Amino acid sequence: MVKVTFVAADGSETSVEGEEGASVMQTAVANDVEGIVGECGGSMMCATCHCYVDDAWISKTGERQHDEDDMLEGAASEVRETSRLSCQIKLDQSLDGLVVHLPDEQF
Amino acid sequence: MPLAPEDASITFDQLTLDPYPIYRRMRAETPVIRVSSIQRTFLVKASDTKMVKDDPELFSSDDPRTPMQPAFRAHTLMRKDGAEHLRERKAIMPALTPKAIQANWAGLYEEFAAEYLDRLPKTGPVDLFTDLCGPVAARILAHILGIPEATDEQMMRWSQELIDGAGNFAWRPEPFEVTDRANAEMDELFAKAVERVRAAPDASAFSVMVNADDPIPTSQIYSNIKIAIGGGINEPRDALATLIFGMLTNPDQLEQVKAGEDWGKAFEEAVRWVAPIQASSRLVTRDTQIRGFDIPKGDTVMTLQASANRDEEVFGDDAEDFVVYRSKNPHQAFGNGPHHCAGSHTARRTVGKIMAPMLFERFPNMRLPDPAAVNWRGFGFRGPINMPVIMG
Repeated sequence: MVKVTFVAADGSETSVEGEEGASVMQTAVANDVEGIVGECGGSMMCATCHCYVDDAWISKTGERQHDEDDMLEGAASEVRETSRLSCQIKLDQSLDGLVVHLPDEQF
Repeated sequence: MPLAPEDASITFDQLTLDPYPIYRRMRAETPVIRVSSIQRTFLVKASDTKMVKDDPELFSSDDPRTPMQPAFRAHTLMRKDGAEHLRERKAIMPALTPKAIQANWAGLYEEFAAEYLDRLPKTGPVDLFTDLCGPVAARILAHILGIPEATDEQMMRWSQELIDGAGNFAWRPEPFEVTDRANAEMDELFAKAVERVRAAPDASAFSVMVNADDPIPTSQIYSNIKIAIGGGINEPRDALATLIFGMLTNPDQLEQVKAGEDWGKAFEEAVRWVAPIQASSRLVTRDTQIRGFDIPKGDTVMTLQASANRDEEVFGDDAEDFVVYRSKNPHQAFGNGPHHCAGSHTARRTVGKIMAPMLFERFPNMRLPDPAAVNWRGFGFRGPINMPVIMG
């Protein structure tokens, strides 16, 4: 299991255990984390799983892909350097303890 | 394993008039069932409908028996998967993102909302469905799509005609004759729109598609616009009408929503309670099983969002009730997976964030004297077809 902490826009934190191989979005949705919608189920067809990776974790979660950039362009909330589509971040042991921050809205 | 049981008694008309008791019984007794009048295998449990929608390889959108094809006179992106679906969807998508709606259309919609509310009488009886919900949805959509010269009446008529054609599961000839005429009218208007946006690009869906670096074929641009007309009016129209009904029949919740400015929650509950798009077909591409039944290759399953949204396993004992303040609301009204509704953000922004609060602020004494007088209709697409309120 991989621990992930979601920090909501209001500062409240929710820590959950995700399975290796699951995406951060799937982990959020499976654990009823509000603030991640994941409307398209992870097919990179929407931007409703937008998250900001905590600075301390940026180098470990990898770079945004081009298609991801395209989709984030339409996100409801501000896109930052740390923005990712959480469906594109797959969990493994190296991400145990990952912290992501949630935007104020997804749509 | 056995094939799913077959039901030969349920009629299309029953599903159109009052489907919810039928779905409730199915969820309890026959969650996977072949309905011969529709020639589809119905899936009514939320976990099954989600599983199907999330697996486009096994459950393809390319349904060769869809009435949508003759209705739209096109192989629309709604009936495609993979790269082809993606290309056509990405063509129109930049015009419909939450950011695009907010930047380009929210302000205009606010103007229309105020204008259309101004037209309503301050007191006395009004049918909000015909006088507000439909027209304002038609007006903003005409602008978003890039055909502002289309009248509200034209937009609403084309939309309803396309819906009736696409929902013609009994394959009656008349609805297709109607859609043939509608298609001809739309095509004529679209040809003019193409010329206009080439000469003067704007933020509309037409312009985005026509002026793209590598545009999709004109036939598919037209097809995308028709899909947006077919699904882009009924959704905000019916969501608004259902929200009005839900709020006016639950005054305690209305007071709470007003106090908390929770119109977004009220919107989500409205579309959960009565999904504007109730059902979707998927072609089974290889033999599989669902809940212990063989689902053979070539079968067509139908995901009932209408039923999934009232699944007691997900929504509890009050699944059939309008309850704004649910602890969670994971409805499937806008679908999920690659084909989730591209217009969902438009509906949320326009209805949930602008019109609903504006309407209830302007008409704080509005009431629905006879909820039983509201008529609900539709199998594939559903909503009230009238909303007889007293304004004040």
